[in-house]
Amino acid sequence: MKKNKFLKDNIGFLFILPWLIGFLVFKLYPFASSLFYSFTDYHLFKGMSGFTIQNYIDVFAKPLERKSLIVTFKYAFMTVPLKLVAALFIAYILNFKIKGVNFFRTAYYIPSILGGSVAIAVLWKALFKDDGLINGLFGIFGAGPIHFLSDPNWALFIICLLRVWQFGSAMVIFLAALKGVSVDLYEAASIDGAGKWRQFFSITVPLITPVIFYNLITQLVQAFQEFNGPFIITAGGPRNATTLMSLLVYNNAFKNYKMGKASAQAWVLFVILMIFTAISFWSQNHWVYYADEDGR
Amino acid sequence: MKKKVMAVLLTSVMAASVLAGCGGSSAPAAAPAAPAAEEKKEEAPAAEAQAEAPAAEAPEGADYEECTLKFDWWGGDSRHEATQKAVEAFMAKYPGINVEVNFGAWTDWETARALEYQSGTGSDVTQIGSNWIPDYDGDGTVFLDLNTVSDTLDLTQFEAGDLEKCLDPVGQQAGVPVSMTGRTFYWNKTTFDKAGIDVPKTVDDLIAAGKTFQEKLGDEYYPLTLGEYDRALFMSFYIGAKKGVPIIAEDGTLNVTKEDLVDALNFIQSLEDNHVIPGIAQLAGDGNVTTNENPKFIDGRYAGVFEWDSAPLKYTSNLAEGQELVVGDELDFGGGVYGNSAKVSMAFAICATTQHPHEAAMLVNYLLNDPEGIKIMASERGVPASKIGYDTLNDAGMIDPMIAKAHEAVYATNPMFFSPKFDNGELKGDGAAYIDAFSGLSYGDYSVEDAADVLFDAYSNVCG
Repeated sequence: MKKNKFLKDNIGFLFILPWLIGFLVFKLYPFASSLFYSFTDYHLFKGMSGFTIQNYIDVFAKPLERKSLIVTFKYAFMTVPLKLVAALFIAYILNFKIKGVNFFRTAYYIPSILGGSVAIAVLWKALFKDDGLINGLFGIFGAGPIHFLSDPNWALFIICLLRVWQFGSAMVIFLAALKGVSVDLYEAASIDGAGKWRQFFSITVPLITPVIFYNLITQLVQAFQEFNGPFIITAGGPRNATTLMSLLVYNNAFKNYKMGKASAQAWVLFVILMIFTAISFWSQNHWVYYADEDGR
Repeated sequence: MKKKVMAVLLTSVMAASVLAGCGGSSAPAAAPAAPAAEEKKEEAPAAEAQAEAPAAEAPEGADYEECTLKFDWWGGDSRHEATQKAVEAFMAKYPGINVEVNFGAWTDWETARALEYQSGTGSDVTQIGSNWIPDYDGDGTVFLDLNTVSDTLDLTQFEAGDLEKCLDPVGQQAGVPVSMTGRTFYWNKTTFDKAGIDVPKTVDDLIAAGKTFQEKLGDEYYPLTLGEYDRALFMSFYIGAKKGVPIIAEDGTLNVTKEDLVDALNFIQSLEDNHVIPGIAQLAGDGNVTTNENPKFIDGRYAGVFEWDSAPLKYTSNLAEGQELVVGDELDFGGGVYGNSAKVSMAFAICATTQHPHEAAMLVNYLLNDPEGIKIMASERGVPASKIGYDTLNDAGMIDPMIAKAHEAVYATNPMFFSPKFDNGELKGDGAAYIDAFSGLSYGDYSVEDAADVLFDAYSNVCG
C-alpha cells in the first residue's frame, strides 16, 4: 500500500525524467562549467594553466570586445522597437476585414520562419550589394550607389532590417491580442467621437500592453542572442561593424578555441540580458495593464 | 471549402519555403558522375554518406580484418565525386572493409574537425591542412605516427623533405603529404587583350597594368583582386624577395621586424593606390563572395587572381563564355628575384584513436600509391607528392594541363617553404590579424604603422 502511494506520488518524476536528464546534462552542466571556465584561460587544445579574471576585464577593456558590446546594444535598440512597431502596425491592419486577409497574414508570417537560412542570406546580399537590386532602383532615379554591405554605418542597419522583416511571430501574437479587445469599446468610443488613431492609442494599446510586454521581452532576448544574420551575411564585417557578442563568443570558442574567454563573454551577455529583463519586469508596474483584481 | 483549400495551399508554400531554405544534402557515395560539361568545381555543401559497400566478406587468408572505416575530406564537387569513386574501388578491391565517407565544403570544416579531434571522435582517415598538425596535435596524441604503419603505407614514395613537413612537434610522422602547393597568378587574357597589354611578368608590369586598365577600360576594371589573406601571402612574397627568407621560417622563427612589415604594407597599399587591386570595401560591396563567384571576376572586370596551383579549375569553370584564363609566371620583383613560397597543400592523417590502423593505412596507401586509386583520384588534390602518384598520372597524361602548368610556375622559381604557423587561426581566422590589419589599412582606419603593429604583435604571439 505504502509502495503504491510512493509510486503514485512520484510517478510524475518518472515521466519528466527524460527531460530532467537532458536539462541536467545539456543545460545545467554546460551552464555551470562555462561559469567555471570563464575564470580560467582554458584553451581547447592547450588546456588550462590557471585562474584569472582577465577574461572579464578584457570584455570591457579590449577594443574589439568593447566595440562588440556597443554594436550589440545598437543592434538590440534598433531592432526591437522597429520590429515591435512593424508587427503591431501590420497586425492592426490585418485585424480589419480585408479581402484575402488570410493570404496576407500568411505572407507576412513566412519571413519569420525562414530565419537565418543561407537562401535568405543570398537574397539579402543580392538586394543590398553595390550593384544589387536596391542600388539598381536608386540608379533609375540617378541616386546611389549606397554601400550597404561595405559601409560600417550601413551594414548593421541591413542586418537589423533582416530581423525586422521577420516580424511574423510577433505579429501573430499581436493579432491574437487585438482579437481579444472587445468591439463594444470601439463602438462606445465611436459614439463619443473618437477617431481611429484616438481609439488605437486610448483603447487598443492600453488593452494589449501585456502582449506588448511579452513581445518586448522575447524580442529583447532574441536580439541580444542574434547570430545568424551577421554570421551569414557579413561575417561580422566590415571592420567588425556587425560583430555582435554572440558572434564574438562563437569566434573565440570555435575558431580560436579560447573557451575561457568565450565563456566570460557569454556570461557578460547573460548578465546584461538579465538586467534588461529585470528592468522590463520592474517597469511593467508603470505601463502594463492587467485586467484582474486592482486592474494592474 | 474554399478557405480550407487556401489554408492547405498556404501551408504547403510555407513548408516548401522552409525546406528550400534549410535543405541539407546527403549524397550517396555511389552518386553517378556528372557529365564533364556540367561538372561544377565550386564547393558543395556537407554530406555524410555510407559508401554503397558490396555485401562482401574478407577472403580467407586476407591480411586485413573486416571493419568499418570513417574517412572525411573537404573540397568541391569534382573532388567529392572522384574520391567517392576511389573509395568504392577500394572497397571492391578489399571486400570486408566498409568505408563511411563524410565530405563537404571548406567553410567551417576545420572547426568541426578540430572539435572531433579534441574529443577523440575523429574519423579513422582524415584530410588535414598543413597547419593542423602543429595546431591540433601539439603533443602527438591526436594523429597516429605513420611510421608505425609504414609496412602498409609506403612512405618511401615521398621526398624526405616533404615528409618532414608533416612531423608533429614531438617528431612523429603525423601526416603524409598529398600534394605540395604554392600560389601563382592566373590572368584573364581576354581582358588583358582588351586593354592592349600582355599579362604581367614583373611587379612593375603589374603596377603599370593598373593605370592602363583604368585609362583604357574604366574604373571598374582591375588587373588583379586580392582579399585579406591573399594580401598577406603577397606581402610574404614581397618580403621573401627583399630579404630572401619567409616571414616565419620552417622552424617557427619570426624572420621580420616591424620595419620590414611597414615596408611590405606600403607595397600592398601602393597596389590599391595605383588601381591594381580593388579595395576591401569594394570587395565587401560585391557581396562578400569568393572571387570565383564574384560577377566582376566572372565577366572579366577583375582580370587576375592569386591562387594555389591546385585550384585553377574552380575559376575556369565559372568564367563567362568568351573569357580565357591563363596561368601566369611568378612575378619578378626586379632583377630576376622572386619571393614565392610553397607549403604542404594538404595531407592525409590517421586518427590515433582508430581501432583499425592497418586498414586505415591500406586506404591511404590505395589513394596515394596504388595506380588504380591514383588514376581515379587524378589531380583533384593537386599534383601528387607521391613519386608513383606523379609518374602514374604523368605517364597517363592525366594531370590537368592548367594545374601542371601552375605547379611548374611555382617550382620554376625555387620557392621557399614557410611554416604552417603562417596560417595559424590567430592570424588567418575570422576577425583575426590578417583581416584586421589589411581591412583596417584599406578602409583607412589604420595607418601603415598601425597595421604593421597588429601584424607584428600577432606574429610574435604565434611564434611565441
